[in-house]
Amino acid sequence: MTRPDPPETPAPPPVKPLPDEAYVRMTLVLRLGLGLSLAILLASLVAYIVSHPGATSASVLSGNPILGYLSLPGIGSGLASGSAEAFLTLGLVVLVATPIVRVLSGFYYFHRAGEREMTAITLGVFALLLVGLLVIGPLVR
Amino acid sequence: MVRLWVAVDLALFVVLLVLLGVAAGLVGSLTGLGGAVVVIPLLVILFGVPVPIAIGTGFVTILATSSTTGAAYVRDRLSDLRIGMFLEIATVPGALIGATATVFLTHANLESALFIALGVVLLAIIPGSLARRHIELPEAIPPDARARRLGLTGEYHDNVLDRDVPYQATRTAPALGVMFGAGAVSGMFGIGGGVFKVLALERFLNLPMKVATATSNFMIGVTAAAGAGVMLSAGYVNPVVAAPVALGTAFGAYLGSRVLPGLQNRTVRLLFLPVIAALAIEVILRGFGLP
Repeated sequence: MTRPDPPETPAPPPVKPLPDEAYVRMTLVLRLGLGLSLAILLASLVAYIVSHPGATSASVLSGNPILGYLSLPGIGSGLASGSAEAFLTLGLVVLVATPIVRVLSGFYYFHRAGEREMTAITLGVFALLLVGLLVIGPLVR
Repeated sequence: MVRLWVAVDLALFVVLLVLLGVAAGLVGSLTGLGGAVVVIPLLVILFGVPVPIAIGTGFVTILATSSTTGAAYVRDRLSDLRIGMFLEIATVPGALIGATATVFLTHANLESALFIALGVVLLAIIPGSLARRHIELPEAIPPDARARRLGLTGEYHDNVLDRDVPYQATRTAPALGVMFGAGAVSGMFGIGGGVFKVLALERFLNLPMKVATATSNFMIGVTAAAGAGVMLSAGYVNPVVAAPVALGTAFGAYLGSRVLPGLQNRTVRLLFLPVIAALAIEVILRGFGLP
């Protein structure tokens, strides 16, 4: 008597590749973010130099001019008053935020495709990036 | 070596930083080593910039260049978004820990240890850069269960071979471990750590060299964002230093990728590796308090 064949383990369903739209959108996010941040940094850097006649490299290296703008109220009031330091901070924040937005767009596409594990991974990466920026940095300052 | 520009007029200082950025972006782009590897030691040695501020500037340099080159690789479908995003779950915590360690070392007045470790890491990059890159394609190895479940496979069109090349990732567990280490090194020293990331992608995940390089470049921006987030909010990114270097590096990288593509080869890399070695030794000597 022959034993019946064991039931075969069903193969996992093939995972669909990300749509072309995801590649196009992420390219756009990277380009726009970089362009915007560099434009803000250039304009605010010129404004900073003009508004600090007589400043030297030594005075710049003796401290960090944006320390007062590293909180939401600080940067908010600085931007409202047209402070060059606040705009320099904004340029840096946009530069740092660009890859973070890219991770968020990855989360969107994996969630839309119903891929739970990849959705959780991208959400985890996004959360860790925010923790670094909003929790760890201010804690160790 | 002597600090050349300790106290100069701010406008001149900024112009010199832009020029440093252009040179670093050009060299980094042509050698594939990235601009931060050149920028950080030169800021410390020539401009008298404190080490943590130089490291903070390194992150900004990476962000300014990786978004440019990363976007091109994504557009050309050479970066594997799925594999890149999967591995970021290891590089990002590594970078957060590395950047936090740098802040603690600075607070503990252990900058000399940071100097020495930075020099050692710069030296460690050199053998990886000298290693012969695989021109041939990797042999087909069955994917592991996780790679199969997450669909870590893909295909790209190789212009040199003039055919589509399929690939599938394997050995995901050790690759995650190496990526965590690469993230920690990147987070601690403000460098991209592409050499280490490509190693994990090629040797462990068994990806073709072109996909490994492009995916590493895609990931570098997110790893840098993790380290930059900590350093920026901890007050170690000085925009008057970082902004001109970032502007110059972005322009230099653009020049390197668009205007001089014919020079992008192994010879250029070999020419500049001794420069990196000299900078690394100088940084180590400073760490030991030697002039």
